[in-house]
Amino acid sequence: MKAQILAGLLLGSLAALPAAVSARPLPKNAQQTADSGKSASSADSAKEKLPFPNVPRITAEEVEKLIRTKGNVVIVDTDDSMSYGAEHIKDAVNIAYDPTVDVSNEDQTLQVLPGDKLIVFYCNCPHEEDSAPMVQEMWQLGYAHDKVKALQGGLTRWEQLGYPLSGTDLPKGSQEKGE
Amino acid sequence: MSRWAKQIETQVGIPTVCVAMDNIVHYAVTYIREYYTGMPLRFVAVPFPFTGQPKAVDVGYVTGKDMLNGGPLMASVVSALTSPLTANEKISGAPANESVEPRLLPPDTEDNLRALFDAKEWSDYNWINLPTEKKVMAMLRGTSHKPDEIIKTVTITGGARPLSVEKVAISAVMAGASPEHFPVILALATQAPFGNSTSSMANMVVINGPIAKKLKFNSGTNAMGPYNRSNAVVGRAFTILSKTAGDLRNNVNAWESLGSNFQYNNILYAENEDNLPDGWKPLHTQMGFNPDDNVVTVGTGWTSISSVGGSQELYPVHYLMRDYMSSLTASGSAATIVMDPTVAGLLQTAHGFKTKEQLSEWFSQNAEKTAGNYWGNGVIQSTVVPLALQGLEPYAGWRKVPNETMIKPFTNSRAIHIVVTGGKIQTTWFVTDFGMRRGVKIDDWA
Repeated sequence: MKAQILAGLLLGSLAALPAAVSARPLPKNAQQTADSGKSASSADSAKEKLPFPNVPRITAEEVEKLIRTKGNVVIVDTDDSMSYGAEHIKDAVNIAYDPTVDVSNEDQTLQVLPGDKLIVFYCNCPHEEDSAPMVQEMWQLGYAHDKVKALQGGLTRWEQLGYPLSGTDLPKGSQEKGE
Repeated sequence: MSRWAKQIETQVGIPTVCVAMDNIVHYAVTYIREYYTGMPLRFVAVPFPFTGQPKAVDVGYVTGKDMLNGGPLMASVVSALTSPLTANEKISGAPANESVEPRLLPPDTEDNLRALFDAKEWSDYNWINLPTEKKVMAMLRGTSHKPDEIIKTVTITGGARPLSVEKVAISAVMAGASPEHFPVILALATQAPFGNSTSSMANMVVINGPIAKKLKFNSGTNAMGPYNRSNAVVGRAFTILSKTAGDLRNNVNAWESLGSNFQYNNILYAENEDNLPDGWKPLHTQMGFNPDDNVVTVGTGWTSISSVGGSQELYPVHYLMRDYMSSLTASGSAATIVMDPTVAGLLQTAHGFKTKEQLSEWFSQNAEKTAGNYWGNGVIQSTVVPLALQGLEPYAGWRKVPNETMIKPFTNSRAIHIVVTGGKIQTTWFVTDFGMRRGVKIDDWA
């Protein structure tokens, strides 16, 4: 009898637990957040169109100067390891960003990066779509906001300026160019 | 591994076979295949463990049997790379969707429903409040946010799940929380699911701000023990919502070999802000929040070492903490030192640490371990070695020194956090390797 009463009380009233939705991976750039509208100035329409506008950018020229003057800078390539092996900014290290998994999966590796140097993330993408999320994650890990930036224009811009590169896809006989 | 194999096959066009460990390969050929890759990858399996073994053992694995089909391993590798695709393997396309649970379960007896929740692994196996629609609606009155608002999309193996306010409310009800706890739990949900690995990963949750007193979170005697309702139910809610939202099921997606008892409550406590020494800021204000902000901070780590008995004048307390720190992985320089207010006072008055930051910097400069000890850790091997091999200093240099060389592995003092809690009963403390993420403002979820 008791069970019947309980069943009656629960009739149609038990909320199901969160179980499932689509198992499809997140689309690329799905982690662009609603921060967009908050941080961008309405006067700066170009900036508003950028993904992750709250992430500070640094130009290739500035980075190259820092490297040349032995400034305290670490360059991080966020492409997959095969792309990195083929071509990357000289002396950059590789921590791949995978848009199909939560960026926090990389926390253990990201935390290895030094806290006392400027860390510049870059990707082979036009608007820092893969490097900017890494910058945001570094902030979550407690890194100072002014110590972590995304390279504006990424690898493409670096190449356009003829700055030093390394990798297996570079001209035969030399795995470095631009020096 | 499946991800890389799929990439090599589909993007580079090279036939690929995955060599997995026997203990986990079935996960790869079932769940991963079904929900992640959408393509049948070929696997062979060797015994576990693989790492840390003498080379002769690993060589024996290679010359031995494929643990999946029982044949010689290398023959299986060659066969996997060269044999034509079967009809089943020619099937391609998007991965199958997971089965979708209904929002409401059909009515049933309480016993049956409890059995269902256990069978589905929707609980921590302690007694839960069954989340009736009425109870969930009551919980939702603890926030101004709408039930269908998506807090975040949780990426799980092979997919993504939107985590809504209503789903968090269900976990909050199950954990025994009250509506006034709900904003704290929603803020915690932004950090869900909790950390989980094959070794005993656990989590630490710190409450800061006026809400700690308002909701009677414990920051005094037994702050980290089972003596307070708010600490108990909010910590437990994080476990339940992490398990359900993160699809953490034993031997399906949760693979901690020993597991961690910390995962029942996630070491949830409040900082004892009233008893911080002058000049020592609460954790949340160190992170840039205002003192009156209510903030929850989540850390992830493995190790916790407790002091035993009171501190002694013979050997200053920070020396002993430093020595204990040599046992931590130092991965990412992460450490969180939790101490009683009496210890904090001692460090300030007797040893001159005017701020938490000064103490963190001292640990960074003075905590040492041998290079061999540092590189002998599996997490360091997987996270630091790749970057060291790419030339990142100081790690590249540490790879070249003899094992007995002393190094200072806590290179980033900002990753060494100090939290003060406890009842001033004894001068005790914990040294832990928990790495703290930036706190989350609870007020945004009220």
